[in-house]
Amino acid sequence: MSDRKITIEFNDKIVRQFLLASVIWGAIGMLVGVLIAAQLNFWQLNFATPWLTWSRLRPLHTNAVIFALVGNMMFAGIYYSTQRLVKARLASDFLSQLHFWGWQAIIVSAVCTLPFGLTRGKEYAELIWPINIAVVVIWVVFAVNFFWTLGKRREPSLYVAIWFYISTIITIAMLYIVNHLSIPTSWSHSYPVFGGVQDALVQWWYGHNAVAFFLTTPILGIMYYFVPKAAERPVYSYRLSVVHFWSLVFLYIWAGPHHLLNTALPGWLQTLGMTFSLMLWAPSWGGMLNGLLTLRGAWHKLRTDPVLKFFAAGVTFYGMATFEGPLLAIKSVNALGHYTDWVIGHVHAGTLGWNGFMAAGMTYWLLPRLWNKPLYSTSLANLHFWIGGVGILLYVAAMWTSGITQGLMLNATTENGTILAYPNFLETLNTIRPLMLMRLIGGGLYLTGWLMLAYNFWQTVRGAAPVNGTIEVFDDEPAHEEAAAMGLFGSFINPPVLFSIFGTGFAFVWMFGADLLSIAGLVGLMVCGVLAYAHFESRGKKWGDWYDRLLGNSLPFTILTFLAVVAGGLIQIIPTVVAHNAASTEDRKQTPYTPLELQGRDIYVRDGCYLCHSQMIRTLVPDVLRYGDYSRLGESIYDHPYQWGSKRNGPDLARVGGKYPNVWHLRHMEDPRSISVGSNMPTFPWLLANTLDNSTLVKKISVQRMLGVPYPNWTPEQITTRVEAQAKTIAADLKTAGAYIAPDKEIIALIAYLQQLGHAVVVPITKTASNP
Amino acid sequence: MTPTPNSTTEDPIRPHTFDGIQEYDKRLPNWWLMTLYVSIVFWVGYWSYYEWFRVGLSGPQRVEQALAQIEAMKLASAPALDDASLWKMSRNPVFVEAGKATVNANCVACHLASLRGKGENPTAIGPDLTDTKWIHGGNPMDLYRTVTQGVLVKGMPTWGPVLGPKKIAEAVAYVLSKHTEGEPIEVDPSAAPPPPAK
Repeated sequence: MSDRKITIEFNDKIVRQFLLASVIWGAIGMLVGVLIAAQLNFWQLNFATPWLTWSRLRPLHTNAVIFALVGNMMFAGIYYSTQRLVKARLASDFLSQLHFWGWQAIIVSAVCTLPFGLTRGKEYAELIWPINIAVVVIWVVFAVNFFWTLGKRREPSLYVAIWFYISTIITIAMLYIVNHLSIPTSWSHSYPVFGGVQDALVQWWYGHNAVAFFLTTPILGIMYYFVPKAAERPVYSYRLSVVHFWSLVFLYIWAGPHHLLNTALPGWLQTLGMTFSLMLWAPSWGGMLNGLLTLRGAWHKLRTDPVLKFFAAGVTFYGMATFEGPLLAIKSVNALGHYTDWVIGHVHAGTLGWNGFMAAGMTYWLLPRLWNKPLYSTSLANLHFWIGGVGILLYVAAMWTSGITQGLMLNATTENGTILAYPNFLETLNTIRPLMLMRLIGGGLYLTGWLMLAYNFWQTVRGAAPVNGTIEVFDDEPAHEEAAAMGLFGSFINPPVLFSIFGTGFAFVWMFGADLLSIAGLVGLMVCGVLAYAHFESRGKKWGDWYDRLLGNSLPFTILTFLAVVAGGLIQIIPTVVAHNAASTEDRKQTPYTPLELQGRDIYVRDGCYLCHSQMIRTLVPDVLRYGDYSRLGESIYDHPYQWGSKRNGPDLARVGGKYPNVWHLRHMEDPRSISVGSNMPTFPWLLANTLDNSTLVKKISVQRMLGVPYPNWTPEQITTRVEAQAKTIAADLKTAGAYIAPDKEIIALIAYLQQLGHAVVVPITKTASNP
Repeated sequence: MTPTPNSTTEDPIRPHTFDGIQEYDKRLPNWWLMTLYVSIVFWVGYWSYYEWFRVGLSGPQRVEQALAQIEAMKLASAPALDDASLWKMSRNPVFVEAGKATVNANCVACHLASLRGKGENPTAIGPDLTDTKWIHGGNPMDLYRTVTQGVLVKGMPTWGPVLGPKKIAEAVAYVLSKHTEGEPIEVDPSAAPPPPAK
């Protein structure tokens, strides 16, 4: 090794860009959040304008805070810390810039599409298919840039933050691609390839793990870099890092079905979703412990340092949210909390508390270092902390109270449990209105705090010269010896990996095998556990040595991480896709929509009705008393995308078909309060004015047929005739009720769709095993 | 050996540092490990109970059982109603007031607060309940059945499972309070007869 030292300049420009973008988009995303919170209390704020209506803006809010605020913040933190942790400048300046501008273009295109009803109708996966492709391309650019940098590293071993970044990159790629598989019908519209229960399962496999691998693991990585840096204390426990990392990435994937408890989802999946959510509690708290206990010896600094205040509070909120998550995943708790504001409170404890505060702490720590100038105002940052903190507490407390109150009212029965105590949904809604107002105040305070951050940011960097970090390294310092040190054999054929693989295999045999095989699986699982424990106790050092060597080999490490995250998805999704097709779905079978109903359904998706109305009557007595017979798997098997919903701001619609006359729906869309006094539903007057666009209907039906929906081979003329005939019938019925609407208006299609909801064909039970 | 205040002697620090970040290698807290182990044991037990031995009832089984119990209770406690008793209730202010509350919460969207429906405003959805023209039968028990079972083709929802027999009887009493026993009534011959009692 020569003694000649060279100086490497880090690419900190990209960090500054992402950091700035995160603050700006964060403010916009939160502003939209405050607006939609206000709309829930004051329906007039929808302004009877399509692109300002709640159900169009809600996806904009969620996408903005997830992908724009947290996304940009994550990229800033990952790029800053990775360069320093591997002692190398980012591999490619071009890819970095492409990543940044590509991501901003994606966000701008989301702003230009979502409010205008261009959506896929799946939560946090609303963006239309051309944007989906752009997201995948930019994510690959990010991955190449990241792994290329790892390849050029001068630091042989991978620090724990890098483990979390690796798991983020590969898992998000897998989840995003599978959940966005769809077949286009036009440049702006597509149908997802999965339908009904399959789509529900894939959606929440994605939705839950977007929370896990977009909002959690990258932020944990950021925590592992910035918290010890800011506290100037060692990380609490390396072995806790190892254990909680691997248990977290392995277990998280299985927990998705807890979003579908007590629904028509097959029971074994619900059981997996609930039990794995409970097992997730400890691994999540492992991260919280390592974050909080790293602050031991630095607690006195919290009094003065806003950065540590934000980090300590952020990690605490992470602990709170990850305790609440398993609690809500218990089926009986879920029966009360699901579809209510409790879940809204839960996610905001995570996003405002964990993501928002970690982002703020990181920004305040980075600003002076990226511009080589002290923070403009520390007291303003402290004020931000207190205002933001009070905002979160108000928000979360309001939503807990609101959710539990409404849940209890909706589930309350009277006369010996034979009838509902509050049969009118609106009564429960109007009870929680003061709490929704309190949420608005809490959210407003949080936004105020964020604007203080933006102001502080601006004042700090105004006129300051950006500065890039540097490091001195030996000229010919060996980058690293990739994989050669271990080889395939050393990477995968060794006790820890083999015990994990056999343990998972035996567990699989136990759960899904029959009779003797099942017993053998359980015995194998136990023996495997005991042997692993004994082997670890006697040869623990060997395990440690192996892991130390693995950390020097990024490719085998990445492959093992991928194996850990892929297992849960494979075991849950493949049987569901194979087994639960239209031929084997309990005792109900959905009738394919008529062409007009299909059009109405697309309007239902376009205008975001699913964001307030579920179509899933759970196997719970209060649900059945309120909405009718519980929903069966077969009743939505042809739904691409599924519309089970995740929140009931209004009542369930699974069996609304035929419950009210056509004219009821017409008046209700035009002015909900003329029929439902006290409702907070927006008005949808454009449905009565807009002419139904049938230009892509032929293509839509052919795509539906491709996806397996049994439509006859209609000619375009036959389709048009059917649309016109059904529309005329509905318009004629409206006319006899005194309402004159031309048959070619959108409202006619929507009424056609709503009026057939719940009208599935009862078929003789052909019992198939509910276990795969 | 004298204990030193420097905790690093008891807490081994890993030799390698990353960008100046050090790592302790402390033992995992026992309560933390117990939480993990207990949740794993719970998974084995819960899966065995519900999915392996199928001792626990599935969601649909459980809800079917509960609904059967509710139906049995309703059958056992159904009030003995007839035209005469409903007329009697319609003259009792306690019943009428209770019925008015139920009607105002559930029925006025279509039949209006005056109960005059289309009679007051032709664009209203529901018919007039105060005149002497009836569509599905005008005897008190006809009204009771219409409310309970609904007339789906005409848009009258099925209120039986939502309101229960007591509240429906009260609501009918309130409607009847706008009428007098023995008044001449007209029944629409073209409309479907009131659905038969179950």
